[in-house]
Amino acid sequence: MSEIQFDALLPYTLLAASSMVIILLIAFRLSHTVIQVVGFLLLCLVIAALLKVRSSLPIAILPLFQIDGFALLFTGLIIFCVSIIGLLSYIYFEEREENPKEYYILLFLATLGAAILTISRHFISLFIGVELLSVSLYALIGYLRTRNNAVEAGMKYLVLAALSSAFLLFGMALIYMDAGTMEFAAIAQKISGHPATSPLVIMGAGIMIVAIGFKLALVPFHLWAADVYQGAPTPVTLFIATVSKIGVFAVLVRFALAIDLQHYPQASTVFSILAIASMIVGNVLALRQQNIKRLLAYSSIAHFGYLLVAFLTGGGAGVEAAFFYLLAYSITLLSAFGVVTLLSTRQRDAEDLTTYRGLFRKDPLMAAVLTVALFSLAGIPLTAGFPAKFFVLTAGVRLHLWPPVITLVLTSVIGLYYYLRVISVLFEGSPHLEIKERTLHPFFYTATYATLAALLLLLCLLGVFPGSIVEGIRAYLLI
Amino acid sequence: MSELFYIATFVAVAATMLALTRLHPVHALLYLVVSFLAVAMIFLSLGAPFVAVLEIIIYAGAIIVLFIFVVMMLNLGKDTALQEKRWLQPRVWLIPSLLTLLLLVEMVLLLLRGSKAPMLVSVVAPRNVSLSLYGEYIIAVELAGFLLMAGVVGAAHIGKHTKKNLHRYLQEEEDIKQK
Repeated sequence: MSEIQFDALLPYTLLAASSMVIILLIAFRLSHTVIQVVGFLLLCLVIAALLKVRSSLPIAILPLFQIDGFALLFTGLIIFCVSIIGLLSYIYFEEREENPKEYYILLFLATLGAAILTISRHFISLFIGVELLSVSLYALIGYLRTRNNAVEAGMKYLVLAALSSAFLLFGMALIYMDAGTMEFAAIAQKISGHPATSPLVIMGAGIMIVAIGFKLALVPFHLWAADVYQGAPTPVTLFIATVSKIGVFAVLVRFALAIDLQHYPQASTVFSILAIASMIVGNVLALRQQNIKRLLAYSSIAHFGYLLVAFLTGGGAGVEAAFFYLLAYSITLLSAFGVVTLLSTRQRDAEDLTTYRGLFRKDPLMAAVLTVALFSLAGIPLTAGFPAKFFVLTAGVRLHLWPPVITLVLTSVIGLYYYLRVISVLFEGSPHLEIKERTLHPFFYTATYATLAALLLLLCLLGVFPGSIVEGIRAYLLI
Repeated sequence: MSELFYIATFVAVAATMLALTRLHPVHALLYLVVSFLAVAMIFLSLGAPFVAVLEIIIYAGAIIVLFIFVVMMLNLGKDTALQEKRWLQPRVWLIPSLLTLLLLVEMVLLLLRGSKAPMLVSVVAPRNVSLSLYGEYIIAVELAGFLLMAGVVGAAHIGKHTKKNLHRYLQEEEDIKQK
């Protein structure tokens, strides 16, 4: 590996080193607060490194990695999400019974897995990234190991993720058998040479779609989602909903761009069916939910259906729309789950919808953040969700993908119902007063409130002035 | 040598099914070892001795170590010997031994008889494997290290026993609180 390549890997080596630093901090028996602060600073360092390597890109580290503007964007989004998840974790875990320190090691390792996915150009790095992500998640989901829900969720995820890894490996093996290589670009070259795609490749790709669909919780591979979202600690739920899906989606897009998915109508059909099914099933199942974590789980299934519409269009515009959508979606979920975390009490998470009755009277800022987040999920103008959905629709219409586009519009209307239902609960009746005792240093509450307020502003900013952000995304994607 | 291949696959599938359906984890582990040996035999019959040996060293070896750990760590105490005796009743080890014997016979046959027809395989030497592992795939190897770390940290957390070592004054306070 040359020096330039080594330099370009800097953000990723830093991320890997961070987990070691955390281990050392634990070995020296430093407090949760120190670990939290150092973790945040390390993430800032990673962001700085990402900005620093930008000028020297694109660089390929053969045969495994490709570091380019696309990777920088997705890694940046991942690190941004993790830094906020880290902040939310402090309050959440400080109040819980478990020692929270190992949590941060696992969080950093899972982040490393997701970041590796964004730069993979080879099946081996893809598989190692996915495994790093899932192995850390098994423990993270079951972290509160004395709670039945958490153990059940961890077990469910363990069994299903192991099965999906087996699918992934088998699919890779079949494609390797035909193409004789595991690099995306070389596979593309190999299979585009033949006029008819060989059955091995079709079979392999089909099996890999199962594994990817599981990770992204697309229908019909979504059965784990609601239970795991509900059982996992709230910050971990947030991690699964954002970081792990961003990483897997990034590698999916990179693979699709490499093999030029557009030229394979069968694959496009499969993905549009998945998209349509996810949009319909996700939205319909969310309709009657009384548990906000499960509601957000089903809504995230639906949102990845919307995202697949952008993915299907392929090419520059599609990736741009997809990234903007992911950005809006992540910020929205961060603020929604941030509110859930802050309202959770020591005994249980604030997941029941009745907990939110009259929140507006009790805590106007929280209610405002949650309202704007839900508006954004519903795609109402002046919030980030609207331009995001608009770009996806534009990309879809331009390529005449009528069935998914029409489903998107219709299911968005269904979605509006249950988002508004939650919002109406916020403003409803007398607050059912349950003053939460604040045992921690007020600094952390202030910091979390400030972060949520900043996210709220960001959501509105993205909704009102999406143009400049899109320009920025385009500039990065051209690197 | 396709008969040998099919017999070995049969053993592998049967052993895996048995491993899945055993209720006692140690019995399941026994069958798992047989399953790995059978997979090694499959590789051998396909003309890949190096992979076969790796399969035995890495997988079967790891299972044996796990087995020893289970015996050593979970059953400290007086009734360990009794327990072991109960584990090792003939009906427990008879089927795995028979399956392994079958594999052994296969291997001996393979080694003695051999095949006259040359096989269409390219030989991959250990040297090449290590060169590519520590050459172009070095980052993947390092990442696999992080993967193990995630596994170890996670397992350590989930499996941790919460032990309360309180000072005796605090202990008394705790007792009073409980009363």
